[in-house]
Amino acid sequence: MRLSALLLGPVLLVNLLTFLAPVLNLASLSFNEARPGGGIGPGPTLATWADLLADPYYLELVTSSVGVAAMVTVGTLLAGYPLALFIHRASARWRNLLMVACISPLLVSAVVRTYGWMVILGDNGIVAAALRWLGMAKPPRMVFNLTGVAIALVEILMPTMILCLLAGFGRLNVALEEAAASLGAPPWRVLLRVVLPLSMPGVLLGCLLAFVLTVSSFITPKLLGGGRVILLATEIYDQAIVTLNWPVAAALSVLSLAVFGAALLLYGRILRIVEA
Amino acid sequence: MASSGTRLTLEALSKRYGDGPPAVAAVSLDVAPGEFIGLLGPSGCGKTTTLRMIGGLTPSTSGRVMVGGRDVTTLPPHKRDMGIVFQSYALFPHMDVAANVAFGLEMRGLKRADIAGKVAQALDLVQLGALAHRRPRELSGGQQQRVALARALVIEPAILLLDEPLSNLDAKLREEMRAEIHDIQKRLGITTIFVTHDQAEALAMCDRIAVMEKGRVAQLGTPHDIYEHPASEFVADFVGRSNRIAAEAGADGVIRLGEHRVRSAAPVPAGPVTVMIRPHRVGFDGAEGDGWNICPGVVRRVTYVGDMLACEVEVGGGIVVVERPTQPGTALPAVGDGVRVSWRVSDTLVFPR
Ligand SMILES: Nc1ncnc2c1ncn2[C@@H]1O[C@H](COP(=O)(O)OP(=O)(O)OP(=O)(O)O)[C@@H](O)[C@H]1O
Ligand SMILES: [Mg+2]
Repeated sequence: MRLSALLLGPVLLVNLLTFLAPVLNLASLSFNEARPGGGIGPGPTLATWADLLADPYYLELVTSSVGVAAMVTVGTLLAGYPLALFIHRASARWRNLLMVACISPLLVSAVVRTYGWMVILGDNGIVAAALRWLGMAKPPRMVFNLTGVAIALVEILMPTMILCLLAGFGRLNVALEEAAASLGAPPWRVLLRVVLPLSMPGVLLGCLLAFVLTVSSFITPKLLGGGRVILLATEIYDQAIVTLNWPVAAALSVLSLAVFGAALLLYGRILRIVEA
Repeated sequence: MASSGTRLTLEALSKRYGDGPPAVAAVSLDVAPGEFIGLLGPSGCGKTTTLRMIGGLTPSTSGRVMVGGRDVTTLPPHKRDMGIVFQSYALFPHMDVAANVAFGLEMRGLKRADIAGKVAQALDLVQLGALAHRRPRELSGGQQQRVALARALVIEPAILLLDEPLSNLDAKLREEMRAEIHDIQKRLGITTIFVTHDQAEALAMCDRIAVMEKGRVAQLGTPHDIYEHPASEFVADFVGRSNRIAAEAGADGVIRLGEHRVRSAAPVPAGPVTVMIRPHRVGFDGAEGDGWNICPGVVRRVTYVGDMLACEVEVGGGIVVVERPTQPGTALPAVGDGVRVSWRVSDTLVFPR
């Protein structure tokens, strides 16, 4: 026990210096007042927080961020679950190959993948062209709006989701599915009553990560959103870099940390229920 | 929950994995309603594969499975109405005992109140009523096994399939569960297939036994038939213990065991043969006469196993193990003694070599 604490020491130290200290610094910055032109007034004052909490714009920013993240999370789960299950059931040789294929997108930066989606979903991209060829006179706009951002984020988060799901499939067991079938359960009920409940730990972990990564995603909503999709991370960027309002940016950062904390709490709560 | 019993018929059921030898080769079996049939055989002889084909969990390569006259060969397992107890039990770890047992009833769309009643009844049947709200991982192996049995029985299946359900239990519990399963099966009258590689288990529990060898049924018969009249050397060797001695049979039906001559009740093919005798059917005090084979021999080793004395006697170049119950007051043979071993002509099993 004492040895493990000792071994944990360096990591704790690094985390203290590189994570906790900047976060505390940010938090204290949010108690300063912004001066026009990027200046920072003396503190401590609650002025920034008072402005922030009184402005309905920021409330909507938080709820819409959470809403978009929830939607993207569900989308990623729905897209990733069948794939993960397929990979899990493949023979050992195929499983490794499929894993590599699934994870290889992680080797490409999100910037490149986002630009890729801009080309694919653009007004003259292959999706629009295909829809036009199928007879649709005016295909729906898929870039510079939420649709494009959601599609790209789902794709970008899928490898992460699949890895989490695969890690959580340990309790799946073909014999249990056979037992359920022998008791009269058709395949879809086996999925709902046996496979899904047993893979809940992986589902929850994957959802937590997808949610957190969406709320803090920046490049994809920035590029594919065309200024119309504003999430917490993009707003923080705008406040810090464009408006030069550092106290508000700091307060929003603290707010997004609070959102993550809430997500983590919810995750723990559900996990306990599932594993009880 | 009495079931009237359903006839199960296997017609030349076969399974081949890849292009190796068939795992199951043309197994035909006619199981009467309410009958308890054992599939007995060594590891890898195709017992599990046969059971899985009956349950629809493994597709058969050829042949048919008929339940009550209906061909179910291509029916998926959830439409077969068979209760299966897996060797690993396969209890749902995320449900408690009651939910495990209720699962099959829910799939059949029963009402909540009816389900509760039937679950309680089934748990009482296997004496687990008190543990209804435990999770499987909180149960002992024997308790898990009984939950698996209750879960399979509560749906009142047409056929009950048991795959070595007792193999994970210790010897004492196994014997208890043997009797319990046998009683429950007889009470409910469910047609049952019981897979085991334990010959004592099969003899004790089954109405009839199909002894399997390399994917085929080597012999089908009552435990008495199988034990007393094994159809082949393999069956005689696998079921019960036996002495095996190489011998030579003449055209006159007399078997030459070294310099001794013995006889068998059944006709014997001329040529090299194996003589097999159950150790406990050999004695030192056989009556002279037509019904007995008597050979002189020399005691080579005596092993005391408590209730039994095993004497290895050299007879005609081979070793015959003679098992005698130990009793106070009887003189025990000693190593080096000259003895006369005797056994009934009707107990002499002879198979061509
Ligand atoms: N999925 C499979 N793929 C390939 N071969 C298999 C498969 N399942 C079983 N076999 C082969 O089929 C043969 C019969 O297997 P089976 O499991 O039916 O034996 P068993 O009689 O149940 O043996 P045990 O007593 O060890 O359980 C074995 O030789 C086995 O290697
Ligand atoms: Mg087996």
